[in-house]
Amino acid sequence: MGDLFLPEVARIASMRDETPDTRTFALRLRDDRRHDSFSFRPGQFLELSVFGFGEAPFCFASSPTRPDSIETTVRRTGQLTNALHTLAVGDEVGLRGPCGNGFDVEAARGKDLLFVGGGIGLPPLRGLIWNVLDERDRFGRIQILYGARTPTDLVYKDELRTWAARGDLELLVTVDRGESGWTGNVGMVPTLFDKTELRPATTLAYVCGPPIMIKFVVQDLLMRGFAEESVISTLERMMQCGVGKCNHCAIGHCYICRDGPVFNFKQIRELVE
Amino acid sequence: MRPANDVQGRDPGASRLLVKSDLVSWIRRLMDDAEVIAPAAGAGGDLMFGPVTDPASVWLGPGNPLQPPKQFVLPQTDPIVRIERNGGGVQVSSISDERARVIFGMRSCDARGMAYLRRMQATDLPDDSYLRRADRIAVVTLACTTPCTLGFCVCCDAGPFARDGHDVQLVDLGDRFLAEGATERGRAMVADAPFRPATQGDVVRRDELEREAERHFGDESAHLGAAMRRISTRRVAEELWEAMSPWCFECGGCNFICPTCYCFSVKDRCQDHGWERCRTWDSCQYSAFTLEASGHNPRERRKERIKRRFFHKVSAQYYQRDGAVGCVGCGRCVQTCLGTTDMPAVVAAIRKGVWHG
Ligand SMILES: Cc1cc2nc3c(=O)[nH]c(=O)nc-3n(C[C@H](O)[C@H](O)[C@H](O)COP(=O)(O)OP(=O)(O)OC[C@H]3O[C@@H](n4cnc5c(N)ncnc54)[C@H](O)[C@@H]3O)c2cc1C
Ligand code: SF4
Repeated sequence: MGDLFLPEVARIASMRDETPDTRTFALRLRDDRRHDSFSFRPGQFLELSVFGFGEAPFCFASSPTRPDSIETTVRRTGQLTNALHTLAVGDEVGLRGPCGNGFDVEAARGKDLLFVGGGIGLPPLRGLIWNVLDERDRFGRIQILYGARTPTDLVYKDELRTWAARGDLELLVTVDRGESGWTGNVGMVPTLFDKTELRPATTLAYVCGPPIMIKFVVQDLLMRGFAEESVISTLERMMQCGVGKCNHCAIGHCYICRDGPVFNFKQIRELVE
Repeated sequence: MRPANDVQGRDPGASRLLVKSDLVSWIRRLMDDAEVIAPAAGAGGDLMFGPVTDPASVWLGPGNPLQPPKQFVLPQTDPIVRIERNGGGVQVSSISDERARVIFGMRSCDARGMAYLRRMQATDLPDDSYLRRADRIAVVTLACTTPCTLGFCVCCDAGPFARDGHDVQLVDLGDRFLAEGATERGRAMVADAPFRPATQGDVVRRDELEREAERHFGDESAHLGAAMRRISTRRVAEELWEAMSPWCFECGGCNFICPTCYCFSVKDRCQDHGWERCRTWDSCQYSAFTLEASGHNPRERRKERIKRRFFHKVSAQYYQRDGAVGCVGCGRCVQTCLGTTDMPAVVAAIRKGVWHG
């Protein structure tokens, strides 16, 4: 990683609005050779610089199996994210990483996979989902359960349609509150568990979303017979450096940016402040 | 207390003598090759570390500046990346500071603090620019033959005489200093005239002074260990942390004057044609330290932050991770704290299970 804090300059190659406050940015390192050799694992994150506003962590939302662009989906919530949303295609940002451990894709080989996403929690899963779909025959059954507050808050709407149309996976989408024209499921994410068949013994469950959703989903999965080691999530903490030096993301003596952000639920239970 | 060193077995070449009247000329010679930083009385009379302009102003008497010399390896605002905008787009480059420097007259606690910071920056993902800067700094310590009033370095194995983190250690023998070269760089610094070989008698005297200094502290060295056991096994009652929390005012002073605290935030500072990305000191005692953009704050309550500070400093988990306790016993937090949640007070409370405020 050379100089620990030195970002590389990247350009915004394209942008797509996902919801009124969430946008996906496709980035390309300015140096082509560096771009081609850039590698990461789904579940890892990058430190994105908006020059003049500092850096913030965002997970890779794209799959390493599609190295053309590096994508990240960002919700507008504060100084840096607001500034990022004012940038245009071709503008320059900084990219530092990859940071963190990422999902262990090898360990998922041959397993059934259950993805449970809530709201803005789908982006880290999206990278893993495309990774798995691009190597489809190496994995067992694939189920994707996704929920958001309203239909407007669903991200990757086109991709949800693409996934729904595929015969080699099961996709269930729900919203907390419907809007006019919505004919799909209404209810919190855990209500989807009764609408499908879960196979706890052979399945790895990947759960990402707001803390409250993770709490209920994980409780439910454990009750339905999933082992703690088979329930995998990503943790979020205030971060400044992403490389285990600034101390903001420490829980006990673990650092979310180094030991995580991906943990299984047994590990999460053992993290004590 | 550790056994007296075996005078016979020690490398005689490592111990040198400097008569005090030659001190100024030695400092002047060091200034030829490096920026020399030493304690001196500042404008208001307070002792402060700063670059030496007049070698005669260097203070080697009792007392240690309230600000440790950490600012010279980890400045309060530390530029790390230059971001320049020009016609062709943005250019980024690392900023490093590799000036040759000597920190002169540092005490053993602070030398231990610098060694701790270095180890921290070198482990896991090493911060090379930090290491390059730190490694260009030679450290000349002054042994504490008279312990300071608030220090408890013996409890932390960090004094009163230095055992690591220094290149040269000076021991005040009255009209002369014994100068011990601890590293190759240090031995070279004391190799030539006006230094001359120390006698066996000087070395014996030095050891006597060390034992006398240690005796001044009494038999206190078990305290941190007992607190460590309780903190590491999380056997400190929540009510105890709760009881302490009105006694911290969240000023961050304890962190900023601590020789081992290094938490930071990163900010872009506006410059001509761009920005300088800076790391700036931060404090784990501030509520915003863990505040996320969503408004969620995992350490919302003050007691959680006090607990965090002491877990990082004295838990066995961090002891294993960092190879040392995060306290060097300098006593500065006792001096600074607006309330009373300083290291000795909290350690005593943990040990006794009661908080007296
Ligand atoms: C591992 C990880 C992955 C993330 N992935 C995504 C993602 O894919 N999409 C997305 O929209 N958001 C993601 N976040 C959250 C995102 O980092 C914050 O929303 C962002 O930092 C807010 O920055 P701001 O300057 O706009 O907010 P402000 O409130 O102005 O924050 C100022 C600074 O505080 C820090 N900070 C504030 N909140 C957080 C936070 N929740 N996590 C970490 N640092 C924070 C940042 O350094 C930020 O620049 C992720 C966070 C982590 C830790
Ligand atoms: S110095 Fe004292 S009052 Fe200030 S933050 Fe530290 S513990 Fe709290």
